[in-house]
Amino acid sequence: MKRATLVTLLGLLLVFVALTVTGCGENFSIERVEHDLNIWGIPHEPWHLGRIGGFNLDLNPATIIFTWVAMALTLLLCVAAARGADMRRPSKLACLIEMVFDFLRGLVDESLGPKKGAGLYTLIFTYFLFITVANLLGLVPTAMAPTADHQTTFGLALITFAMMYVWGIRYKGARYFKHYLEPYPFFLPITIIEDLAKPLTLAFRLFGNMKGKEVMILALLGLITGVAEVAGGFLASVLWLAFGVFVSFIQAFVFTMLSIAYISMAVSEEH
Amino acid sequence: MELKFNATILAQMVHFILLLILLRLVAYKPILRILEERQKYIAANIEAAEQQRLEAERIREQFEAEMRRAREKADEIIQQATRAGEEQARQIIAQAREEATRLKESALQEIQMERERAMAELKEQVANLSVLVAGRILKEAITMDTQRRLVRDFIDEAARYVQ
Repeated sequence: MKRATLVTLLGLLLVFVALTVTGCGENFSIERVEHDLNIWGIPHEPWHLGRIGGFNLDLNPATIIFTWVAMALTLLLCVAAARGADMRRPSKLACLIEMVFDFLRGLVDESLGPKKGAGLYTLIFTYFLFITVANLLGLVPTAMAPTADHQTTFGLALITFAMMYVWGIRYKGARYFKHYLEPYPFFLPITIIEDLAKPLTLAFRLFGNMKGKEVMILALLGLITGVAEVAGGFLASVLWLAFGVFVSFIQAFVFTMLSIAYISMAVSEEH
Repeated sequence: MELKFNATILAQMVHFILLLILLRLVAYKPILRILEERQKYIAANIEAAEQQRLEAERIREQFEAEMRRAREKADEIIQQATRAGEEQARQIIAQAREEATRLKESALQEIQMERERAMAELKEQVANLSVLVAGRILKEAITMDTQRRLVRDFIDEAARYVQ
């Protein structure tokens, strides 16, 4: 047993040495890997859907298509879970979804209270499920995570931003805007920046993590060019994919959790 | 890499809201319904269990009270029986004693009567014998009646003396 471990370690070291000696991929280009992986023939150029009031209606094809895939998968997951849902004998999938739902509901109730939080359950649940599925989609070969496009994450963050105002005004009315003038009115620029920073950080955090994960996957795939690099690039790629699963869940959870926190801050009375 | 925005951001927001609405219809409502149902079911079960526990407690208390009452009653019955038994024993003994006394008295009476009868008979026999003997001896010296009277007087005197 101990000998097997030793041999494996030695092999890994050898692979590492070989990798460094041969030079990490000579004519290496992420663009080329990306192009090779695009077996679906999804165009790189945006779709032009015409102009509305001086505004170009352009869409990123890959983002849109994989968003549809992620939406379909999320819906499929939920339909399957809802079909297996039963009071006495829920299916395994239904149990899992129920647990996730219950957990997120607990988080919302904890920070907003059941009264104010009841309307947020769907939003938070959808955030978590959709972002998780979208993130994990990035690990599927030839597919892309919709969240690796900054427009998706900004779209989601803007929804949280809007919800902050909706919930703040709904539960505090005009008093909600008072927090811009506190503790002193001349803090107004700072509080405004603070408010704007929330969706910005939300969007960039998710986007950065997912884009980084994707670029790393492509780069590690690009390293697989020769015998030595197959060993090095492949191992690293596998490890990175495993880490990618972890990051996908963590980032989905962080986005969800921070959305709850921001909305609860907008609603909370002690400002 | 510069950040460029186009209509994709709007499309993504619309997509998300669409997904939100669909999930609300497909998943949120059934799951929440199931969760609430289960919660209600569990609450009802707990309620029922509590109720049953109280009921069991009540029945137990009732049962214990009944047991206590039964035991008291049994004690009372035993005591009563003991008392009755003692009473009866006393009665039987008293009766027996009375009976014995009565028997003794009747026996004594009988003995007395028997003795008196025997005495009378004896008197008769002795008188007759004496008369016979005296008559033989005196040979018609005195009349029979006189003799008998004399002898009876003598015997009476003797009997009084004996008694």
